[in-house]
Amino acid sequence: METRCRGYDSALSLRELLSGIPPDKLSSVLALLLGGPARIISADGAWVMGNVLPLAGKVEKWPLVYDLEVTGYLEAVADGAKGQAAASMLELILLSGARYYMASELHLEVVKTDYEELQRRHAALQESEARYRSLAESLEERVNEQVSTIESAHRCLYQAEKLASVGQLAAGVAHEINNPIGFIRSNLGTALSYLQKIQSMSQQIKSSGNVELLNIWQSADLDFVLEDFVSLLQESMEGADRVARIVADLKDFSNVDRAAEEVVDLNECIRSACNVAANQVSSHADLKLELGVLPLLRCRAGHLSQVFLNLLLNAAQAMKERGEICIRSSVADGQIVIRFIDTGCGIPDEIIHRIFDPFFTTRDVGEGTGLGLTVSRDIVVSHGGHIEVDSKAGAGTTFSVYLPVNQ
Amino acid sequence: MADFDEAARKLTIKLVYYGPAMSGKTTNLMRLHDLLSPDLKGEIMTLETQNDRTLFFDVLPLGFRTSSGMLVKLKLYTVPGQVAHDATRKAVLSRADGVVFVADSQRTQGVNNSESFQNLEDNAYRVGLDFETLPLVVQFNKRDLPNILSEEEIRERWSAAPWPLMMASALAGRGVRETFMRLLEVTYPVLDRNFLLHKDHDMDARAFIAAVAGG
Repeated sequence: METRCRGYDSALSLRELLSGIPPDKLSSVLALLLGGPARIISADGAWVMGNVLPLAGKVEKWPLVYDLEVTGYLEAVADGAKGQAAASMLELILLSGARYYMASELHLEVVKTDYEELQRRHAALQESEARYRSLAESLEERVNEQVSTIESAHRCLYQAEKLASVGQLAAGVAHEINNPIGFIRSNLGTALSYLQKIQSMSQQIKSSGNVELLNIWQSADLDFVLEDFVSLLQESMEGADRVARIVADLKDFSNVDRAAEEVVDLNECIRSACNVAANQVSSHADLKLELGVLPLLRCRAGHLSQVFLNLLLNAAQAMKERGEICIRSSVADGQIVIRFIDTGCGIPDEIIHRIFDPFFTTRDVGEGTGLGLTVSRDIVVSHGGHIEVDSKAGAGTTFSVYLPVNQ
Repeated sequence: MADFDEAARKLTIKLVYYGPAMSGKTTNLMRLHDLLSPDLKGEIMTLETQNDRTLFFDVLPLGFRTSSGMLVKLKLYTVPGQVAHDATRKAVLSRADGVVFVADSQRTQGVNNSESFQNLEDNAYRVGLDFETLPLVVQFNKRDLPNILSEEEIRERWSAAPWPLMMASALAGRGVRETFMRLLEVTYPVLDRNFLLHKDHDMDARAFIAAVAGG
């Protein structure tokens, strides 16, 4: 193959041109045609076919022309016409051999080029396939990225909506309650001062000696009435004060418009969350606050209040029977740690790794969205902190919020 | 690149007729066989055809001896014009010393002509021929047919091209010899530079062309 592949247009020797012909048969045909032995030699006299030894007698020689050149000779002891005819026949055989040789060489060349071209295309295809595969892979990655972006946008929206609706409610309540509670408190104060005037009158009535008036006084038990009246009014005033404080807390808590950062004592946020949730919590559990002294923190207080409220309400809802919720705040190693420790039902091991997943909830349809903890974690993470959970089924759960103290 | 066998004192030159399918490449060769009469002239060898369409190539050998005793052989090849036979075309074009591009003058063949010419340029590059310096003559064949581009149109379209333009009607034998002579003219300088035809073999352009044309 190596030696043969010289190109279809290369020069061919006599031996090559005759290579497709069985030498014995051609020799015997020539011997018959010429009436005696014959031999074919190359242009430079080398033996190619027929009698190996030079012929004896009157040897004639006819040139064999191929491709404009004498490529060899036919030798025989024969007359001129026969020899010429045999030489012409040999030339036709040479031509036919050349055609075959050229065709096959060209065919080989073409096949080789086609094969190389195919390989080149194959390589190009493989390359493009690899490119598309990597595109497809990154496509999946990009879709996942988009999905997580959408999920987080969804959570932000949920949180914003929730905070907005709480804020709206708080603003409405503040507006509607503040005024009446104001005048109720003021009126109660006035009423108390009026009562003191009436009490001072009782001394005069008693010392006046008017028996009839004293009898009426005593039968109506006005001494007790006056005394009780004072404490009634004082209790009412305390009640009004409490209402006013709750409204103020609600306002504080829901101050969602202040998404901008402010410097706060997180204990205040905890207290206001407790006040807001007091009603829901008190029916399920006793609330114990163990608040340590915390450094002031620059944070989005409204958002963190939301976290505390979520954790507190979760703790309350975890109570199968009346239990205890303890909120403990402290600072250590540059971190504020706030723990919500409940004695509720605990979280089973098989779902504990999913509780922060969006839309994961153990509550009945309609009772919880499954976003509370997700949003809480997002908020804490956005403050550079994290939430840890430790739970024992049946014994209770502790959520720990870690927040780095700002430098 | 022509093949010079120093021991045998033999120079083999390869000239290729290129062009789109059915533009008359083989007809050019057949006419040349009749029109030229150098000292040595072989028969056209047709390798393979199908319905008169060349599948491999045709080759016409011509030759003469210089006064210095060197044998000069010219081998005229045609390529298969059909698009499918590009690998064959490429193989035939390789090692060419000169090319005649046979274009079809019919108005309907413009696209085929330009695609084939582009293919010639591409294949020349692939087989390692410098298309800028490759001796090339462009022949517009089939001048005898109706509905052809006029010579003025052709010359205007090709005015920016550096190659000689020849008009021919191969079927009638017109312009065929002229095209070939023109190819020899543009090919001779390259051969002379490489093989010192003039200096070593006393063969200038005129003598070279006369020897090939014969008569």
